[in-house]
Amino acid sequence: MNPDTKQINLTFDTTREDYRIAWLTALAISIHIIESALPSPLPGVKPGLANVITIVVLLMYGWPTAAWVAMLRVTVGSLIIGTFLTPTFVLSLSGAIATIMALGIGSRLPGRGLGPIGYCLVASMAHMATQFIVAYTLFIPHDGLFKLLPVLMTASVVFGIVSGLIVNAMMSRLRVE
Amino acid sequence: MTRADYIVVIFAFIMLPYLYMKYWQAPVQGETAQILIGTDKKMEVSLDTDRQFSVEGPLGTSLIEVHEGKVRFVDSPCRGKQCVHSGWLQQTGDFAACLPNHISVAILGHDHVYDAINF
Repeated sequence: MNPDTKQINLTFDTTREDYRIAWLTALAISIHIIESALPSPLPGVKPGLANVITIVVLLMYGWPTAAWVAMLRVTVGSLIIGTFLTPTFVLSLSGAIATIMALGIGSRLPGRGLGPIGYCLVASMAHMATQFIVAYTLFIPHDGLFKLLPVLMTASVVFGIVSGLIVNAMMSRLRVE
Repeated sequence: MTRADYIVVIFAFIMLPYLYMKYWQAPVQGETAQILIGTDKKMEVSLDTDRQFSVEGPLGTSLIEVHEGKVRFVDSPCRGKQCVHSGWLQQTGDFAACLPNHISVAILGHDHVYDAINF
């Protein structure tokens, strides 16, 4: 062998944390894809069940892991569905970033802080409001869009509370095991 | 539920009615009607005072009525009477026209409900 060519070592160390993020992201992606196949009564309204995983991860493993799971879920999910770098992806990504930021602020609150319902509600409202602003500034700069805002925010509050209840149920079972 | 949870839920339920009131308020009442005759003549009529008046177009006389902040075509010398069937115009952006007689009536105001209407 030529002594100038060095063999490149392609193995890299993985931590327990990496495996945990990968497993949880895979779970979130599965829900994300199943949910994207469900028909929606209104454009822009969907239950956001994949975010349930984000909140569970936040409650069990902390904010950095939750942020990883949310960002990877949006990126990989869009690659699988085929919406990567489309307007759908831009909306999805901006929603995820807003969610992570809102959860970051929420998890740094003093005292007992937020519980599952508070986290889910904050996340879904931040998600919806940011998507609305992005949709308005980038894609549909028409004032008529504001007629939809009350409906969209109502949906986000309803689904936020519903996913909060789901997280509550999941957490009580996870603690038992 | 923690105290912060309650604060978030209360915030959400205060925000929603506010959004509905802000963005779903009643359409804006018009203030004046703009009447266009042909392509060049233009007149503005206040909707405050009730009255009837006639406008001369190429086909004949169109009768327009203002009543309680609303305006309508009462009669027009056209065949289809589309303008008459448009009925009362009340909200900003409402529009009726008698194309054969080259007369149109549109309601003006500060806030436009529609940017443009396409038939």
